[in-house]
Amino acid sequence: MINKSFYTLVYREVWRFLVLYKQTIMPGIITAALYMVIFGEALGSRIKLENNIDYIIFIIPGLTMMSVIGQSFANSSSSIMQAKYLKFIDDYLIAPVSGFELSMSFIIGAILRGVINGILIILTCALFTSFTIEHYFLSLFFLIVVSCAFGAIGVIVGIVSKTWDSVGVWGTFVFMPLSMLGGVFWSIDMLPESWAYIALMNPLYWMINGLRYSMLGISEISITFSIIISLLFAIIFTILASIMFSKGYKIKS
Amino acid sequence: MNSIIEINNLKKIYSNGNHALNGININIEKGKFFGLLGPNGAGKTTTIGILTGLVNLTSGKIKVNGLDIIKDYKKTRKMIGLSPQEINLDVFFTIRELLIFQGGYYGLSIKESKKRVDKILFDLGLEEKAYSKARELSGGMKRRVQIAKALIHDPEIIILDEPTAGVDIELRHLLWDSLREMNEKHDKTLLLTTHYIEEAENLCDEVAIIDDGKIIAQGSPKDLIANDGESLINITVDNWDSSLLPNFTSNFQDNIVTIKSKNSDKDTPYIINKITDANISINKLDIRKANLEDVFIKLTGKKLTDD
Ligand SMILES: Nc1ncnc2c1ncn2[C@@H]1O[C@H](COP(=O)(O)OP(=O)(O)OP(=O)(O)O)[C@@H](O)[C@H]1O
Ligand SMILES: [Mg+2]
Repeated sequence: MINKSFYTLVYREVWRFLVLYKQTIMPGIITAALYMVIFGEALGSRIKLENNIDYIIFIIPGLTMMSVIGQSFANSSSSIMQAKYLKFIDDYLIAPVSGFELSMSFIIGAILRGVINGILIILTCALFTSFTIEHYFLSLFFLIVVSCAFGAIGVIVGIVSKTWDSVGVWGTFVFMPLSMLGGVFWSIDMLPESWAYIALMNPLYWMINGLRYSMLGISEISITFSIIISLLFAIIFTILASIMFSKGYKIKS
Repeated sequence: MNSIIEINNLKKIYSNGNHALNGININIEKGKFFGLLGPNGAGKTTTIGILTGLVNLTSGKIKVNGLDIIKDYKKTRKMIGLSPQEINLDVFFTIRELLIFQGGYYGLSIKESKKRVDKILFDLGLEEKAYSKARELSGGMKRRVQIAKALIHDPEIIILDEPTAGVDIELRHLLWDSLREMNEKHDKTLLLTTHYIEEAENLCDEVAIIDDGKIIAQGSPKDLIANDGESLINITVDNWDSSLLPNFTSNFQDNIVTIKSKNSDKDTPYIINKITDANISINKLDIRKANLEDVFIKLTGKKLTDD
C-alpha cells in the first residue's frame, strides 16, 4: 500500500523542478554540449589516453556525474530553503509523516532530478560522438545512488543553513573542486604519484570512476569499492537527514 | 470523562531559556468550542505548537482522543487541522494546488482532495482566487486560505491560532459564522486562540485564560464573568440617599450613582424599584456589563490588550 501522505510530498517535489525545467534541466544539457564542442573539436584530439579511448568519450561520465551531483544537491537544498524562508516547512512538520518519510520525499525529488539530468546529458553527448554503454544497470545504479547521497546532503545543508549564500558556498567551494579533483578530466595515470594518492581519498573520485567503468568499461580502480563507497555515502547521509527531520534539529523549537 | 484533548502539566523552556509554559493543564471536551485567551507572549502559540508537533515539549503529557501526541503522532495529527497564526503560503503553486497537496499530506487521494478543496474554496468565498498565487491575494484572503488549510481533511479537531488577526469587521463576523457552523452543525471540536475579548465571549463555550505560561482561570465565559467580573450600573438621579442600597457597593458623584453588581441582569430591576419607591426620579440608566477583560484585570492586575 502506498502511503498517500508520502506520495503527495514526493509529487510536489517532482512537480516543482519539472515546471522549472529551464533552470533545473536545460543548463546541464547546454553545459554538456559546450564541453563536447570544446573538448571534442578543439582540444580533445591533442590529449592522448593510454587505453586508446577518445578523450571526448573519456570525460562523458565525469561531466555527467558533476552535473548529477550539483543538480541533486540543488534540488533538495533549495526546496528546503524556500520552505523555511516562507515558513511552509511548518506544514510538513505537522503532517502525519515520519522524519524518514519527510527526508525521503526531498531525496527522491533530488534523485529524479539527478537521474533525469544524467540521462539527458549522456544522450546529448551521444549526439556529438558515438559510444556504447557497457553496463546499463550499473550506470543507472550510480546515477541513483550518487543523486541520493547528494540529495541527502542537500537536505542536511538546507536544514542547517541560515542564508542562500551559505548553501551556494557548498557548490562553489566543495562539490565543484572535489569533482574537478575527482577525475572528471583526467585518469589517475596522468597524475604524479603523490597527487594520485590524494585523489584516492576523494569520495567523488570513486563515484566518477564507478560511472566511468559502468559506461565505458574502463576500470582504473576497484569497481566493488566504488559501489561500496557510493552506497555508504547514500545510506549514511540519508539516515542523518532523516534523524534531523525526526528530531526537528534546527527546524523545530 | 469525555475529553478529546488532555494537556497535563505541560512545560516548555525554549533553547534561549525562555520559560514559555510553566506547567499548564487543559481539558477540552469533545464538541466544545474552546478558547485560549491571553495577551501577547502568554504561550498560546507555544501550546498549539506542541499539540500539533511543531514545537518539542520540555515536560508534560498531551493526549488527543486518548492517544499520546508523541507516541501516536501519526494518528493524532490526522485528527487535527491547524490554521497557523503566521501566514505561511508557498508562492510557487496556486492556492488550489496548495490546498490539494495539504489534503494529500493528511491521506486524501488527489481526487478526493480536489473535491474537498473546491467545496471549501467556495464556502470561504475564495473560488475566484483558486488559480491565483498567494502573492496576488489580500491579507484577508490569505487568512482565509490559512483557515482552509485546517479544513481540507475534515478533521475532528480544528485548531485556529488567531484566525481573525488583521481582518476587517465584516470578514471577522463572516468567519465567526462559519466557525460556529462547524462547531454546531458538523460537531467539530474547535480550539481557538485569541486576544479579542469579544471573539472569546461570542464564540466559546469554554475559555481558558492564559498569562505568562500559566492558566489562571477556566470555565464558561458566563461563569468566569459571574465569579470574577463586576458590572457597573450607572444611574443619573437628582438627589441621593446613601442608605438606600445597603447590600451594594455604591458611589455618588456628579449626580451619578455607580453601583457594582455581580449580576446586573438580576440586580438592575431590584435597584430601580428601590429607587422609585424612595421617590427619587431616574434621569438616565447606563449599564456597563462585565466582560472577560474585567476578569483578566481582576486576576492579573493588568490589561489584556494595550489599547
Ligand atoms: N522559538 C522561540 N524561541 C524562544 N522563545 C520563544 C519562541 N517562540 C516563542 N517564544 C517565547 O515564548 C513565549 C510565548 O510565546 P507564544 O508565541 O506562545 O505567545 P502567544 O500567546 O502565542 O502570543 P501572541 O498573542 O503574540 O501570538 C514568549 O515569551 C515568546 O517570546
Ligand atoms: Mg501566538
